Amino acid sequence: MGKTVLVVDDSVSMRQMVSFTLTGAGYEVVEAGDGKEAVDKLNGGAKPNLVITDLNMPNMDGISLIKAIRGMAPHKFTPILMLTTESSDAKKKEGQGAGATGWVVKPFNPEQMLATIKKVMPG
Amino acid sequence: MAVDLSQFQESFFTESAEHVETMETGFLELEERPEDLDLLNRIFRAAHSIKGNAGMFNFAEIAGLTHKMENVLDLMRNEEIPVTPHSVDVLLRSLDGLKSLLDAAQGAGEADQEIIQGLEKELQACQDGERGSEVSAAPSSAEETVAPQTAIWRLIKIDWIPLPELFQRGLDPAQLFKELHELGMIKDLQVQVDKIPSLEAMDPEVCYLSWKLELETDVSVDKVEAVFDFVRDGSELTITDCAPKQAEPYKRVGDILVEEGVVTPGEISDGLAKQKPLGEILVEEKKATPEQVDKALQKQKQQKKGEVASIRVDTEKIDKLINLVGELVITQSMLTDLGEKFTIDQLPVLQERIVQLERNTRELQERVMSIRMMPIGSAFHRFPRLVRDLSGKSGKQIQLVMSGEETELDKTLIEAIGDPLTHLVRNSADHGLEGPEERVAAGKPERGTVRLHAFHDGGNICIAVEDDGRGLNRDRILAKAIERGLIADGKTMSDDEIYQLIFRAGFSTAETITDVSGRGVGMDVVKRNIEGLGGSVSVQSTPGKGSKLTLKLPLTLAIIDGMTVRVGEDNYIIPLLTVTESIRPKSSDLQRIVGKGEVVNLRGEWVPLVRLYEVFNVTPEYTDPMQALLVIVEVENRRLAVLVDELTGQQQVVIKTLEQNYRKVEGVSGATILGDGQVALILDVPGLAKLARAEHTVAA
Repeated sequence: MGKTVLVVDDSVSMRQMVSFTLTGAGYEVVEAGDGKEAVDKLNGGAKPNLVITDLNMPNMDGISLIKAIRGMAPHKFTPILMLTTESSDAKKKEGQGAGATGWVVKPFNPEQMLATIKKVMPG
Repeated sequence: MAVDLSQFQESFFTESAEHVETMETGFLELEERPEDLDLLNRIFRAAHSIKGNAGMFNFAEIAGLTHKMENVLDLMRNEEIPVTPHSVDVLLRSLDGLKSLLDAAQGAGEADQEIIQGLEKELQACQDGERGSEVSAAPSSAEETVAPQTAIWRLIKIDWIPLPELFQRGLDPAQLFKELHELGMIKDLQVQVDKIPSLEAMDPEVCYLSWKLELETDVSVDKVEAVFDFVRDGSELTITDCAPKQAEPYKRVGDILVEEGVVTPGEISDGLAKQKPLGEILVEEKKATPEQVDKALQKQKQQKKGEVASIRVDTEKIDKLINLVGELVITQSMLTDLGEKFTIDQLPVLQERIVQLERNTRELQERVMSIRMMPIGSAFHRFPRLVRDLSGKSGKQIQLVMSGEETELDKTLIEAIGDPLTHLVRNSADHGLEGPEERVAAGKPERGTVRLHAFHDGGNICIAVEDDGRGLNRDRILAKAIERGLIADGKTMSDDEIYQLIFRAGFSTAETITDVSGRGVGMDVVKRNIEGLGGSVSVQSTPGKGSKLTLKLPLTLAIIDGMTVRVGEDNYIIPLLTVTESIRPKSSDLQRIVGKGEVVNLRGEWVPLVRLYEVFNVTPEYTDPMQALLVIVEVENRRLAVLVDELTGQQQVVIKTLEQNYRKVEGVSGATILGDGQVALILDVPGLAKLARAEHTVAA
């Protein structure tokens, strides 16, 4: 069975691009437009093997989402990658503090993203 | 895996356009409420999204400029620098620069690099000037250079005590080792278990293990370090690089030649300078002319312009559509079932199912049409900025009030009304509203108001542009019309008739040509454009109180209200909007005038008569207008009497173009299929009038 990735981003073009790349690499993709939608999908029974989330989003931002996911028993250990444009370490620290597994710094190319996913995707 | 990102560029552009809009309205609001943090955050998020996505799609210039804007916005929202009229102005102009970059990226024109660089400097000044001489923020990642990689076999010693909450962050040490293994050979791996507590004290979610290992690899230490990127914080990690073996770096042919003393570096760069674009070489060799090459280059540029028109649709709308299609399928299968073993006593059931089918189809049609519907707000967004600029230039104080932005209409129409609306708003601001002194003298508030209001009216949408200015000047319009020879002197006219004169070609009352309006594109063009869309323009005005121009448009271009008429055995559709009345004339009303053909007297006005059967060469039931019927149509202030056998009804028709399937036919704008399966031609009334005129000129 293919591995499932939950992609959370408010930007449609980013979601399209990430989903396209992931689907092309054989992953199943579930999309959400913001943190709230992602939480709804997870509560609704989605069981992703990995979550990729943007940080800047309306309704519920990425950091709050990461915290929320870590508070859900079934997803406590699910790897979470955050997409960030911040080259500064502050945001990465904040994300790690919230429980993020890793990050992908924008701009990235699809190959970089897949390599990072491979890095944290449970075998 | 190579992925072509260009396929997502279109979404990027759509999205960016939305963000630009958010920023634009945001900046304008910011001028009024510089303290509003929510607003600043919203603008910041828009800028941030454009920057991030532009980087993804390799639009470095767009990312660069937005990055600078974002920096300024960031300092503003952190209250490190104040929001000043100057900084908002710089931001607004930067936004214009950003728009030009976005346009250029889509192949429409080129952005002026000097302007962009100027803007970036100004933004930098906003950022620094008010924050003191702090060094500017971290250089953008593009500037960071990476040392050339050279292949070195080395032994790397790694000593890693992971952070205890490793698992709680979704990390897995096994993954790390797998990754290291891909980089080279892992030798001498030792697990240290001494930190594991007794079973009672152990927290199963905490990592107590640590590792020591040696890796033999040909990759750089950086790559090995990168493996630990996500676990470095909180871990104790030592990576030691031992015994590297140097390998030769990759050399280019020029480097080798220089090293061997064959050529000097200067000769290499001279040689490189001689490398020419293909076009130039072809021209030199007389294989192509410079014009041909230029043309080809133009063509190459234009390729990028071939953008796909797309529409964003709410998933909700699509879900409903899918539901409906589902119902349609059910109805269809019920009908099939019924058809297989049909007996006449089941007729009521059949009829019931057909009614159901009809309902499904109608609903489906409505829903599909609604996909093309967009809120008109997107056509309104440009106006706050326009009005702001206008008030700046003219010294008038203008406030713009918009309402009904959520009113939906066809996307094509939204695009088409942009320019006419701009013209009307400009007119109101420029000609309609008075200067502050004049307003105060007239007992009005100093600040003039332009109102933009959209609303549904039956099957139409109305957009009103209203101002509280001086109103139309009856006498001046009249004088101008006489001067321009549009009407005869001494003719008595009602106020309304006089106001209508502003729509006549060659009419413009602006005595001084200002920067904003009065540049020759007059109201007649607005009227023509709107009528071209199947709509109409009307004007109301009260001297001293203001004027109001109302555009009335059909909701969509694909469906029109039509009057079905019959000529002989053929059916035709006349757009209902053009029909004013139908009459059966008396013989005394009919005349034949040399050079004008047949005319009919309509309450004192001679209206040209068109025999539809002659135009389309069919056999009618009646050729005598007194037995047949005359449909009076009006378009562009011109009336025409169309001779038909009979009016058969009135219905909504879906327009199918002829051009796509056949070719353009004069006097016909399209065709449609009637309820009984017959094809009916839809008459193009202006075309018909032209056709009639041409014939008579020839005949004369």
